[in-house]
Amino acid sequence: MNSTGNDVVSLNAIDIARTKQQRFYSKILAASESILYSQYQTDITFENFVWLLWSVKESAYKYLQRNNPVLVFSPTRCIVTQLEIPAEYQEANPSICVLEGSGFDNQPVLKSIVTVGSETLYSRSIITRDLIFSVVNNDNNFDSTGWGIKLIDNASSDSQSTEIRMFLLEKLKNELRLPELHVHKNSHGCPILLNRAREIDIPVSLAHHSNWIAYSYQLAGVVA
Amino acid sequence: MTKQEILNELKTVIAPYTTNKEMLNSIDDNTDLIKDLKINSANLVDIIIDAEAKYDIEIDYDSADKMVNVGTCIDVISEKIKEKNEQHG
Repeated sequence: MNSTGNDVVSLNAIDIARTKQQRFYSKILAASESILYSQYQTDITFENFVWLLWSVKESAYKYLQRNNPVLVFSPTRCIVTQLEIPAEYQEANPSICVLEGSGFDNQPVLKSIVTVGSETLYSRSIITRDLIFSVVNNDNNFDSTGWGIKLIDNASSDSQSTEIRMFLLEKLKNELRLPELHVHKNSHGCPILLNRAREIDIPVSLAHHSNWIAYSYQLAGVVA
Repeated sequence: MTKQEILNELKTVIAPYTTNKEMLNSIDDNTDLIKDLKINSANLVDIIIDAEAKYDIEIDYDSADKMVNVGTCIDVISEKIKEKNEQHG
């Protein structure tokens, strides 16, 4: 089951006071995850913790929904069971406008294990002063995962949609040497890659929030 | 409350979060919050919280999971108002 899922949260667009309200965060965090936060001696704020877990859960949902179109996104049933936060994670990531990579070996990433029913998935997340970005895979190795984050000027839905496709295709056209690549949505709303109208077996995931756009793709099974 | 009354009020709950404000005037049961109204998934919890506050109801996890389009939002709100009224006699 080759898939990928990603999500981006613009930290300038969240309501910090609301996020801290139990009525709000209890709709995102499972009870065990609130306990998880109290176990960490970390600089991460509670609001960032909530949105970090949201982005992991949303990514996990996107990952699974590709092969299970009727899956319902239920944040509190998507459980982060382990979380690894590198020291000084935020200082290591100054404000950026564009960041792209393959794998996460050179990034100070947060790692987690997330379960959805009987499925166990793995995540990598980047937190800066401006955003939280997550990618999910069914393997704890992300060497074949391509990803990108970009700041855009216009946050309208049309602009987000156009810009994220351009951003992803620019990367993939170079990487795959397929100049006629296009992104389409399949019948259940998942983005797919087409080359001359033929679907390419490389799962892609698109995300946007406010002025941030992000993508991920998974080359595992295609490129050794 | 009638379904139409809830629909009219739901528009005011949704309005701050949609970037497709023109479509608000023509929404129906099948209007999808994310695909049609272009609401970011990160704001879905806001809509649930705002609906809870507006009607003084509590929307449990199972019900919240169903709130993906206008029709299911109205059904959930309507059901929770009914439950509240029954509890209060």
